[in-house]
Amino acid sequence: MIQISKKSIFSIQMFSVLLMFSVLFFSCKSNPGNSDDGSNKIDTTLTGTVSAELTFAPNVPKPIAYTSPKKVMVQLEAIEKVMPISDSSEYTFWTFGGHVPGNFIRVRQGDLVDFTLKNAPESKMTHSIDLHAVIGPGGGADATSTAPGQSTHFQFRALHPGLYVYHCATGPVPLHIANGMYGLILVEPQGGMPKVDHEYYLMQGDFYTKGKYDAPGLQDFDETKALSENPDYVLFNGRVRSTTGANALTAKVGETVRLYVGNGGPNLVSSFHAIGQLFTKVYMEAGSEINRDVQTTLIPSGGATIVEMKMQVPEVINLVDHSIFRAFNKGAIAQIKVTGAENPSVYQKLK
Amino acid sequence: MKYFLSILMATVFFCTVQAQQKTVVSEKKMVTVRGGNYKPFFISKSNRPVYVTSFRMDETPVTNAEYLIFVKSNPRWRRSKVNRLFADTNYLRHWKNDLEIGVSNKIIYNSPVVNVSWFAAQAYCKWKNKQLPTVAQWELAANGSPKDFKYKSLTDFILDWYTKPSPRVLPHVKSTYQNQYGLYDMHGLIWEWTFNFNSFAASPDSRRNGEDDFKNFCAGGAINVADKTDYAAYLRYGYRASLKGNYCISSLGFRCVKN
Repeated sequence: MIQISKKSIFSIQMFSVLLMFSVLFFSCKSNPGNSDDGSNKIDTTLTGTVSAELTFAPNVPKPIAYTSPKKVMVQLEAIEKVMPISDSSEYTFWTFGGHVPGNFIRVRQGDLVDFTLKNAPESKMTHSIDLHAVIGPGGGADATSTAPGQSTHFQFRALHPGLYVYHCATGPVPLHIANGMYGLILVEPQGGMPKVDHEYYLMQGDFYTKGKYDAPGLQDFDETKALSENPDYVLFNGRVRSTTGANALTAKVGETVRLYVGNGGPNLVSSFHAIGQLFTKVYMEAGSEINRDVQTTLIPSGGATIVEMKMQVPEVINLVDHSIFRAFNKGAIAQIKVTGAENPSVYQKLK
Repeated sequence: MKYFLSILMATVFFCTVQAQQKTVVSEKKMVTVRGGNYKPFFISKSNRPVYVTSFRMDETPVTNAEYLIFVKSNPRWRRSKVNRLFADTNYLRHWKNDLEIGVSNKIIYNSPVVNVSWFAAQAYCKWKNKQLPTVAQWELAANGSPKDFKYKSLTDFILDWYTKPSPRVLPHVKSTYQNQYGLYDMHGLIWEWTFNFNSFAASPDSRRNGEDDFKNFCAGGAINVADKTDYAAYLRYGYRASLKGNYCISSLGFRCVKN
């Protein structure tokens, strides 16, 4: 990296962009705040066994109450299930736990996670799991190729704090992901996450169906559209209007909301944006670097972010992928309904 | 007279049932699959394209009715007697008991037998002086073009089947399509055991050995494949790789071949 940086400095302007990337990469690597080898710095002496609380979107498990490493039991089940993808369309989803996205898993840095993957007996397919929080072959996929009606088992140490995507990793992986097999696992830092008033779980995904958006009936997967990365649906939490209207997230003026947002893909990168708000805090790419006062943050496919917002005025905040056709025509909208007293010093509509 | 009539009716009914059962369990028709080249989906040192010589193959998957006869004459393959090493607890769980499929299950007499292990399938074929098809034989046979096919493409048809959960009641054999060799239901009804179901990943306990190191997960799975867009074949190989010989699964059956 250093060599490239030096070279770039002496190169003509054409290379200045490359230089910026190099410097950025270099500075991240050398940041003393980041533990490059977390295993040496964290306490890993186990002090008992607990079962992980698992939730489905938009709910997030309660913050971790214990303060020393535990053996944490986690069990997920692969379930193939027909569910509505929009008001008129149904789709055969492949899921972790029967929902898209799958169970939210919350553990603490230093925990030893004892992981069981079951595959429902009615499943047609073999399934497995690759958790991006796992350091080991295939992120767990090597140990979890699970035939229908069977279960598999492995252990991993949660070494690094952050919010990580998990997904099915059985070939062809893109199809399993396109059918909804993804979710999030949060590894809390040893000191825990700062306290907020609300925590919510959102996950974006793109879907490819034989029929057009909202075409009536059960829709089959469309391989041609998937290969050309041209989705019919771009959704939060696996369904058009999963998190709007009566199902909107809620908060009050004065409260702070934290969103754990993942992007399962399989194809699209999300330009995550809150209409009528901005992110006071962004854990960039759900890692350890914090950025502040951000209007739109990128969430890579197979990546995540953690954002926080302070609620200032009553309003309905539309959370969108600001690649905006996706929000208007393909379903990429979720909402937070903020109630409470008007705050004219921050915003008022004038006649 | 009334008495006589009911006896007559009962006799007729009995004969009909007998006749039906007879047709169900009569000697299974086999058809010839012409020899041809088989190109493995995953290419590696031990999985090279091979020429498969002509062989005979059961026209349909083995049915529940056919398998019942095997169990009757082979007590060690009865549900309550089978060795757990050779068949897990799901073995024939859809039957009423050891020697009855069950009257309430009458609808599946002529459906493929499922919930049978590789060992059980192998034993059945051996009992018939046959054997399980190799992956190469099965794939060659399954690649046969459909006769009078109503779907746009075979791959589309297979994918549509793969992506739907298993039905509660499995349809009868011959309920999907017939292919150029005269084989029924090679796709669209059940998964089928093959003799060397996990050999494409080298030996079962050394998936990470040398050149045969292939990963069926993540991008690694896309390195050595014959046709990256053939998602149907991809799914089939992923499925086989996850099997163990004693697994009994509600969508997995078999048919036999003779070389």
